[in-house]
Amino acid sequence: MSAAEAKGFRTAGDVPAELREDLSAVLLSLADNKRLLGMRYAEWLLGAPTLEAGIACSAMAQDEWGHSRIFYAMLKDFELDPGHLEHEREAGEYLNIELLDEPPPEWTGLVALNFLLDSALAVQFESLRDSRFEPLHYKVRKVLEEERFHYEHGRGWLARISETEAGRAALAAAFAPAWNSCLRWFGAPDGELIGRLADAGVCDADSNELRARWLARVGPVVHDAGLDLAARGADGTWRSNSGPDWSDWDGARRRSRGGGPNPGTLAAVRGDKNRTMLMD
Amino acid sequence: MSSRLVQLRRHGPGRPVPGPAADPTADAGYESVIDRGVDFSAVFADATGRNPDLVLEVPDWETAPADLEERVWRALYEVPDPEFPISLVDLGLVYGVELTEPDRAGDVGVTVTISLTATACPCVEFIKWDIRDRLALEAGVSGVEVHLTWDPPWTTDRVTDRGRDALRRAGVSI
Repeated sequence: MSAAEAKGFRTAGDVPAELREDLSAVLLSLADNKRLLGMRYAEWLLGAPTLEAGIACSAMAQDEWGHSRIFYAMLKDFELDPGHLEHEREAGEYLNIELLDEPPPEWTGLVALNFLLDSALAVQFESLRDSRFEPLHYKVRKVLEEERFHYEHGRGWLARISETEAGRAALAAAFAPAWNSCLRWFGAPDGELIGRLADAGVCDADSNELRARWLARVGPVVHDAGLDLAARGADGTWRSNSGPDWSDWDGARRRSRGGGPNPGTLAAVRGDKNRTMLMD
Repeated sequence: MSSRLVQLRRHGPGRPVPGPAADPTADAGYESVIDRGVDFSAVFADATGRNPDLVLEVPDWETAPADLEERVWRALYEVPDPEFPISLVDLGLVYGVELTEPDRAGDVGVTVTISLTATACPCVEFIKWDIRDRLALEAGVSGVEVHLTWDPPWTTDRVTDRGRDALRRAGVSI
């Protein structure tokens, strides 16, 4: 069913009960990933390779937290308490990709988050731009408008670091784990969340199609940077050189089984030090 | 407590016609005191004797406002953006004004719908307070609500020609 053929959902109450939980899980996943990604950007405000990169990280961190604030707030319509979601959950309740559990130890790791993960999130947002769940339309457009610069920043740094052999080696080490995480984050092909939402017209593509869109976007760039991660097939489409490793996949949380943000990250994103100052 | 004294400079043909604001000195400007949650109030430049921190260009209306809704829009012209030296209206952030039915005293509630330039705009509460404080000066307004929307997203296309001119003069590229 295409989004255009189906009657729109104006509020969460219009969404059939069997879909509501899937939809709220996707919104929470996007909010959690943006909240944590913003924290990772923020960790490089000082100490990035150039002053300009630090300032860019500051701007991207601000964007990500703006986006996460919007999507946590949307969940109120699903009878979830945004204040609880933002400030009171335990690590095991977060729906973030495992790639964000720990801070990347090197700048190349941050570039992997910037280029691979931020692009994966953008691909997911694009699939919701004309969603049958109408409250998403304009919010997603605003998010994507702000995201354009994130892609350019990641691509620029990838190209810059890949100019030297040492740079390519550092990128290869940082990108390999990020690649596998992002590749499978869109979900297993059958019977999972994204597939159900695609069938209902809430998003415009299933897991495999989203993965293909992401590969088409990041594949040529990592290939040009000399990384052995993706190749163009005979039919012109971009394919990963390795399949996703599903061995510890948790389809409900869209991440590896168990775990969550590490204690320092959790305390920072929840605002544990600021509890007495929470006003709204 | 930080504060900004805003001086209004009227441009355009014809003579300024003060609207029926609660205080006739409103045309001389007003001061917005920005300090989260503490004694946030608006007073008028004439009463302070201070030099303005910001000169805000607003239209020089040729006629008196036809109704309260028009008066609300004119008042919103006098609310500066916290970052850019132009009015919220010229920046294109004001998406709509709605009035309730008059209460027994003839006063109405005003709902102003705004958007922001960025999703993580750190000034959202300042903007809301400035709007509430300015509109509270208008006779006949019993209460003010400010709603936030992203529908449609703000872009620089929404900045008015007057706003563009003022931004360029202030050195902001647009």
